[in-house]
Amino acid sequence: MKTNPDRSPSSDPSLNRRRFLLATGAVFLGSRLPASAADKVTLPFENGERELVAYPQKRPLIRLTTRPPQLETPFAVFNEGVITPNDAFFVRYHLSNSPPPGLDIETFRVGVQGKVNAPLSLSVADLKSQFEPVEIVAVNECSGNSRGFSQPRVPGGQLGNGAMGNARWKGVRLKDVLDKAGIADGARQVTFNGLDTPAIPATPDFVKALEIDHARDGEVMLAYEMNGEALPILNGFPLRLIVPGYYGTYWVKHVSEITVLDEEFKGFWMATGYRIPAGDCAFIEPGSAPGKTVPINRLNVRSFITSLSDGAKIKAGKATAVRGIAFDSGFGIREVLFSQDDGRNWRAAELGKDLGKYSFREWTIDLTPKSAGILALRAKATNSIGQSQPMAALWNPTGYMRNVVETVRVTAA
Amino acid sequence: MKPNLLSVIPLVITASLHAEPVTYTPPTETALLKSAPGSTEAMTQCMTCHSAEYVSSQPTLPRATWKALVLKMQKVHGAPILDAQVDALVEYLTKTYGDEKAASHKSGK
Repeated sequence: MKTNPDRSPSSDPSLNRRRFLLATGAVFLGSRLPASAADKVTLPFENGERELVAYPQKRPLIRLTTRPPQLETPFAVFNEGVITPNDAFFVRYHLSNSPPPGLDIETFRVGVQGKVNAPLSLSVADLKSQFEPVEIVAVNECSGNSRGFSQPRVPGGQLGNGAMGNARWKGVRLKDVLDKAGIADGARQVTFNGLDTPAIPATPDFVKALEIDHARDGEVMLAYEMNGEALPILNGFPLRLIVPGYYGTYWVKHVSEITVLDEEFKGFWMATGYRIPAGDCAFIEPGSAPGKTVPINRLNVRSFITSLSDGAKIKAGKATAVRGIAFDSGFGIREVLFSQDDGRNWRAAELGKDLGKYSFREWTIDLTPKSAGILALRAKATNSIGQSQPMAALWNPTGYMRNVVETVRVTAA
Repeated sequence: MKPNLLSVIPLVITASLHAEPVTYTPPTETALLKSAPGSTEAMTQCMTCHSAEYVSSQPTLPRATWKALVLKMQKVHGAPILDAQVDALVEYLTKTYGDEKAASHKSGK
């Protein structure tokens, strides 16, 4: 055998790669070759070179890491429509054994346990037959989406703007499942664990918690379908938690353990990880250290121009239809303003079809440059409670929740 | 714990999507850390739990940040890094990927 699990990795990359391919070549017949055959993209920040790699059930996506897999959606996908296709939807895992091995919809069970009157063990078929199906269109955005643009730069996944997506999720209300189990008196939080596991037992398992009232709000879902199909393996097959309006960290994939607690959950991924500076605004003086922190929660308001990218050429004196998307945490987008002069003057864009308050909202506007030259285009969204976006980028040490009013520079000629 | 780079074998999942079974065969893990003094140890210590891009995709972070990351991996994420190995690992990361990477390596330790 060429593979010996106990051997130290060689410092000679070519030797390792050859040995690796010899050992596994048969398995990969017909699949895409890594590295040398890959297309590349460069995200617009230092050290932003990435490979485009096609994973199972996915088109080529921007690979941030191989193990566990982290894949970013190429930004052009967001101009295909307000629903992000399953094969282009971003992927973010935390633990080495991801996606977990042995996923099988026939044998999969999700347990409901802890402070409940009657613990449950449910298959996907049980969820489909015993509970009312519900659907919601909702944005899933990674807490660290756009982290690569932080200045000063911060450690973590160096993402462009593609760690977000909008899908139609179908499943059952978490509330209905919890009510069937019967929540015992004194319940405070509900935790969610998936089948993904760390490489070594000492690593904290990826477990997230919601307050009991949030878990029972009738909107948090256990979803088994995404855009009319079973969830892709890399997006949580066969069941994932949907927490509309909340950052993706809560949307636990391959969710298999739901535990009701009568105390506050103290696990690493709530008590230490995914924390933001406390207060109205999750940002602090660049380079400083936060004081009190709280778990990250609702999505910030964002908007993007999707039909034009930096360096695009448009016609002077003629109308160009500009299109984009906007979203917030579920209060609903009230207005998108558009500027073609770097924010000096603004016009209201026309909002597209409303797919629900948690969805991307399309917007369109005509742009007619009076003369040739470079235009700094900006789009700024406001939601129904007046939350909006800052004109200059704000900062925190984890690179979470970036929502600056973006700028796209185009040339009119 | 010895490194398990070569045990990073392809994960094959057979998941039945409705009636249709799908075999999940991901692309091979090929990324390695840059060869430099300390890289063999760094691959042992870092790549037990994650692939090399977790390191190589970072911006040019300062030494203090690399040290904080190494200590986080050791103390919080349970990485099998001995206290005596921390300084050498921080040295490799800072000189190879951090803001001291323009400086030449004087020695491996």
